[in-house]
Amino acid sequence: MVNFRQIFLAIACSALLWAAHTQAATVSSAAATKRAMVLASFCAPDGDKAAALEQLVEVGISSDAQDRAWARQIVGAIRNGSLACSAHAHATLNGSPALDAIDLQPAAHAAVDTSDVPYVPSIVMMRKLVVASAEMDLFAPQQESRAAAARQIDKFFALLDPVVVTRAIRQERDPDTVTVLTLAMAKRGLNSSVKADRLAAIKAVAQVPSETARTALANFAAQDSVRADPDVLAAVQSAIRGIDTWLSFGRAMSILFSGLSYGGVLLLTALGLSIVFGLMGVINLAHGEFIMIGAYSTYLVERFMQAHLPGLFDAYIFVAIPVAFAICAICGMLLEFFVIRFLYRRPLETLLATWAVSIALIKLIQVLFGSQNVEFITPGFLNGGMQVAPAFFVTYNRVFAIALALLVFLATFALVRFTKLGLLMRATTQLRDMARCLGVPAERVDRIAFGLGAGLAGLAGVVLTQIASVNPSMGTGFVVDSFMVVVLGGAGSLAGTVVSSLALGEMNQFIEPFYGAVAAKVVVLLLIVLIIQKRPQGLFALKTRV
Amino acid sequence: MNTLPEPQTTRRLSLSALATKRMGQTVEVGIVPVLILLALYLPFAYFVIPEANVLHLSLFGINLIGQIMCFALLALALDLVWGYAGILSLGHGIFFGMGGYLMAIYLLNGAYAETHVLPDFMQYMGASDFPAVWKIFSRLDVTVLVTIAATALAAGIFGFVTFRSRINGVYLSIITQALTYALMLLLFINDVGLGGNNGMTGFTTLAGHRLADVSTQIGLAVCSSLLLVVAYVGVRFLARSSFGRALIAVRDDEARMRFLGYRTHTLKLFAWCLSAVLAALAGMLYVPQVGIVNPSIVSPQLSVEIAVWVAIGGRGTLIGAIVGAILINGLKFWLTAQLPAVWPFILAGVTLLIVVYTSNGVWGTLKGAGSADKGGRR
Repeated sequence: MVNFRQIFLAIACSALLWAAHTQAATVSSAAATKRAMVLASFCAPDGDKAAALEQLVEVGISSDAQDRAWARQIVGAIRNGSLACSAHAHATLNGSPALDAIDLQPAAHAAVDTSDVPYVPSIVMMRKLVVASAEMDLFAPQQESRAAAARQIDKFFALLDPVVVTRAIRQERDPDTVTVLTLAMAKRGLNSSVKADRLAAIKAVAQVPSETARTALANFAAQDSVRADPDVLAAVQSAIRGIDTWLSFGRAMSILFSGLSYGGVLLLTALGLSIVFGLMGVINLAHGEFIMIGAYSTYLVERFMQAHLPGLFDAYIFVAIPVAFAICAICGMLLEFFVIRFLYRRPLETLLATWAVSIALIKLIQVLFGSQNVEFITPGFLNGGMQVAPAFFVTYNRVFAIALALLVFLATFALVRFTKLGLLMRATTQLRDMARCLGVPAERVDRIAFGLGAGLAGLAGVVLTQIASVNPSMGTGFVVDSFMVVVLGGAGSLAGTVVSSLALGEMNQFIEPFYGAVAAKVVVLLLIVLIIQKRPQGLFALKTRV
Repeated sequence: MNTLPEPQTTRRLSLSALATKRMGQTVEVGIVPVLILLALYLPFAYFVIPEANVLHLSLFGINLIGQIMCFALLALALDLVWGYAGILSLGHGIFFGMGGYLMAIYLLNGAYAETHVLPDFMQYMGASDFPAVWKIFSRLDVTVLVTIAATALAAGIFGFVTFRSRINGVYLSIITQALTYALMLLLFINDVGLGGNNGMTGFTTLAGHRLADVSTQIGLAVCSSLLLVVAYVGVRFLARSSFGRALIAVRDDEARMRFLGYRTHTLKLFAWCLSAVLAALAGMLYVPQVGIVNPSIVSPQLSVEIAVWVAIGGRGTLIGAIVGAILINGLKFWLTAQLPAVWPFILAGVTLLIVVYTSNGVWGTLKGAGSADKGGRR
């Protein structure tokens, strides 16, 4: 069979055919017979084309790598309409040069009959072909193509081959794909006329609870034939109830999760605010603009890495963390040095002064970067997410937000609790005049604390680049929420900040599905105003003597 | 306020503390005739003085003066609570907006009676008629009375719970700011029925006068100026009465006043409600002059800006608030037309310079009255 001249020719043909050709070089005679049989039954004028296709798929999922490639190419050729059957049940693939369908070698000129009409599949046949190639793809080594194939099969579930799909489910390791395939199988089973098949299918669907599974069952339950049969109807209804339980659990979990991530961002923004407020009694209306500066620092880091270090591009988010912190801390210390320290005994004027700084900063960034949203390329490892439970999808960017907030909180806690600086900060917070008498450099502590607070806001900006849109006025919306966190939690109290930011995040997300995002904000704000009436110094007020 | 005990010594002390330089006093009193003259000058400047003359005012200019007078009234209202009671409200836009929105409802009632066409936003919402509540606002006098009552009630409820739980200082400021923000978000929603994002517009008549008429617009500007004068005289009288002095004492040391037997939260509550009503009246005059009301009227931005006008002019001086509002808004209208990109920097720069490096704004510094304020907790 080996023909070196043919090999040489085939290499010249095309890159696409190269793989098939090298395999063809060692096609055994047994394989050739099998292929010929399959082709013959497909080409037979009165033959069962569907049955032939099944045989083809069987070859396509066999253990032999060459056979698999061959079957795939034949199915592809049929779909393209390039397979032509000649009168004596011999097939060729049209093209230049025309190929013999059995060994995919260029056909001898004598064998090519130009009068052979290519087989043009009907619409039904076309769908069958799609399913057939998807069934073959179910055994592909790449997980993405298997998942895509599973989705195709789910789309045309009525046409799938149960034997093949069951085999695929047994081999599959990706739980998502298994779910999709099981559901497709079950949907096919629901359409069966045998009662046992239907009951089994219902059970199978109940095993893979999801929104689509519920829809499938609900549609099924609405059929007349189902409503006539009490056994099937009862089974369907209990299955739907089971799925509903799972779904509501998943929904609750996902609300909890998004509340947690929102709370994490709030924690990052409010931590600095709370420290500064507790220490100096100063509310910094420009705090939101430090978030914005942090986000724009991330943007600059991203641009820089893309231009100069494309290999390490995905790591830009980690590079941005110290950079944004440093930039914001420096800005914060400058603000303290030039403005805040003149206003220590006049907290209300500080509000206005920091407001002035904030409008100037917003305008400055608008002039420098434009007022439209800045686009970010998400690092690969933060893209996508994971299906943890039905209706509960965990996205990695939110996990990142929660993790960073947790780490930053622990670091801040350690700083305040275990370092000398923290000791001085606590002393100044509790009783400034006494601390100064004992030699605490209160001015320097203030400056460092203000820088720290600004830096923490910058970190919030880094996180927000991954979960929210970045524009010059992004800080203004967040800053009201973080003020509320501080007011609710009590100034200067780290525990209060954690509790109230999580509570605020969760409350927001829990009310949102019922009344909408805006109403959620309004309700939460009003609720806080009410709580404040009862506890004017916040939930976790520090004992200070001012 | 008759219940207030008035120890004679306190009165002497306060009088001497409040004694200002003769110069300052002349100006403080002098602004009244100046504003009245300005009000009288407006129609004269448009109708009598020929257009070529420098003293002639276009309708645009008169409209602008009317708007600025409304802002000055708003600043005066804030100065009453901030300068005298030490309550920095970052939510006076709420009351300004209440007046504005209720006035807009009245104006839409008038427009509907005339054209029998529902406003666009109602048609989108699928309404076939005005909500029943809106019918209350079909007469101007009723609208004014209801607005005053509603604002006083709203301010009263908020003030009562807040002052009673002794929330003050920065806490109060950020809570009022949060409420402003919440109200703005609420007004953005279409289902609230107040025009949503686009607000309400398409006003035609005000108490029988066509809003498009020159005379109506001039009349509104004159009214704004005169109301400012009346409010200034009234607030100044109040501030110099025993009530005003008690208020200053509360600002400087609330605990001590409480121990002396004053009901400090009642004092603050009265000033707070009065201030809210003044702000609402300013809003009622403002909306027909600009011809539209939308949620930006209750944006936190505007509310902070009011405080900035007062701070720049000098809080606790009343005249400072008026001068600050007129200066900053005049500058704003002029500069946003000339150099729109530079205006925020100028506003920020002026605010920073004055707030950081003067003890109490322009007027407070000129008057040299900062001495009484320096030690106080505000």
